[in-house]
Amino acid sequence: MGQIVDIGRRIELVPMDSYFHDITIALYQQQPAIGPSFLVHTYSRIEDASQRIQFVVDAMQVLGGMALTELGLLRFSCGVDHQLACKRVFLEACKSDPTQLVESRPNTIVDKKSNRNVTVLSRGNGRYQVTVDGDETGKERRVSAITGGLIKLGDMIATDEKNSDQVVFSCGRSHDALVGLLLVRAPNVRAVVREHQMTASRGVLSSPSQQE
Amino acid sequence: MKTEINSMTSRQRVLAALSREPVDRTPVCNPTSVATVELMDLADASFPEANRQPELMARLAATGYTELEFDTIMPVFTIIQESSALGCKIQWEQKDNWPTVKMREPIYEDVDDINIPSDLLTHQDTKCVLDAIKILKKEYGDEVAIIGKTMGPWSLGYHGFGVESFLLMSLDDPDKTMQCLDKLKKVTIDFGVAQIEAGADALTLPDHATGDLVSGDYYRRYLRDLHTEFVDRIPIPLILHICGRTVDRMEYIAQTGMSAFHYDSKNHPQESIDITQDRISLVGNINNPETLFARGPEEVRQEVYKNLDAGVQLVGPECAIPLQTAVENLMEIPKAVRDWHKERVAQN
Repeated sequence: MGQIVDIGRRIELVPMDSYFHDITIALYQQQPAIGPSFLVHTYSRIEDASQRIQFVVDAMQVLGGMALTELGLLRFSCGVDHQLACKRVFLEACKSDPTQLVESRPNTIVDKKSNRNVTVLSRGNGRYQVTVDGDETGKERRVSAITGGLIKLGDMIATDEKNSDQVVFSCGRSHDALVGLLLVRAPNVRAVVREHQMTASRGVLSSPSQQE
Repeated sequence: MKTEINSMTSRQRVLAALSREPVDRTPVCNPTSVATVELMDLADASFPEANRQPELMARLAATGYTELEFDTIMPVFTIIQESSALGCKIQWEQKDNWPTVKMREPIYEDVDDINIPSDLLTHQDTKCVLDAIKILKKEYGDEVAIIGKTMGPWSLGYHGFGVESFLLMSLDDPDKTMQCLDKLKKVTIDFGVAQIEAGADALTLPDHATGDLVSGDYYRRYLRDLHTEFVDRIPIPLILHICGRTVDRMEYIAQTGMSAFHYDSKNHPQESIDITQDRISLVGNINNPETLFARGPEEVRQEVYKNLDAGVQLVGPECAIPLQTAVENLMEIPKAVRDWHKERVAQN
């Protein structure tokens, strides 16, 4: 009777896709034998919806450096789920303009708050160092804010006090594309949190006494 | 309680539980909406159109039975259909949000302003409900309980006057407030009876004397007798819905003769059953914002079990679920109910 089958645990949702007929696109996590994997899915049966899903899948491979399994699932080559980071990759992929070529993000950005260049350098074994150019005044604070952003957005880990400008992935493997993607949002995590809260609060019905 | 699971149809099960008669298993019931954005895609029936076009309304509502395996189908997703027909201004919103009455632009200032329009039941937004119920009755009438909805006069008062003005009036001028309720109750009755004629098996009657704004004594003074009158004048099982902490009025609610009370997760199942006893069925009370929306199937299952352990007669979400709720959380409710009963059979 039903058409819904078990496709895993839903971990992220775009309720209205602005690029394709306002369809809903979701990210599901599965646990096959090869390790944690992710499925991009829509229940929409609008013609070409599958092409839209394929675009998002392709974009996630580019933006997050993810690999596609034979079953059409996405996963990180290290075999760890990096769930928080994967959710960010999914959201950014859905936001990518399908008329433009999707390219992986560079490891350097201009930090609008300090008007400095911020670079993230791979130091091997999943470790990354945040550097900020320009004079020393306020530099440490920006480095700290951006490493904090990478930790919050990508579930990365602070290394030690001696290397407070460094963060590491729990898997100990490099994820250069993923770090480039996270770096874009890392300087302003508050905006990311606000956006998430606003999206989540839509569609929650309040009683008349709570309405305006 | 019988031990042979699934010997009744969903419809039989729901109607029996509403009468506190024996059932083969506890029914899973949604007196309010279980629509989600994903189900809208699946049914190709999205908000806001699915609130205004009967075919879409029926199609989306049916997924509650065909996909989620609830024992009820409830097509009246919103609380604004009658208010739209009364002339309130509506913010229809988009697929991912609920339509609301623009209560900052009230249509009533005084009791004399309340005039029930002659097209109350032929207005697009009330007729949509009636036509959707007819469609559902034709397609699923024998197997599943079709639940309609008619808003109570207290809620309509909020919509027509604005919440603040209506509450102030209830403090300053109880007589006038009673006159308003008396005039607005015709909407509740007429729309309710029309849904019965369209084929509804039961009706949800939301009347938002909510725990955060109105005391139990207020409920007794203003609404208990009115709700008792509805039981007499709307001849079908009625499910009263009031949000929030309501244990202070459950005694009065149990006196109304309503078939069931759809209760909020702010009330513990056992304390609620202790008050209502066998006088009225309880429906609920799986938490929406914290459990169904933000947590996973394991937590949903725990709340289902808590209700079943307390003897709650019908299990379901506490209120209209958030539109972004995960389908697997909703599907966990009937699964958990079936498992609970299997475990009890095995224990015996």
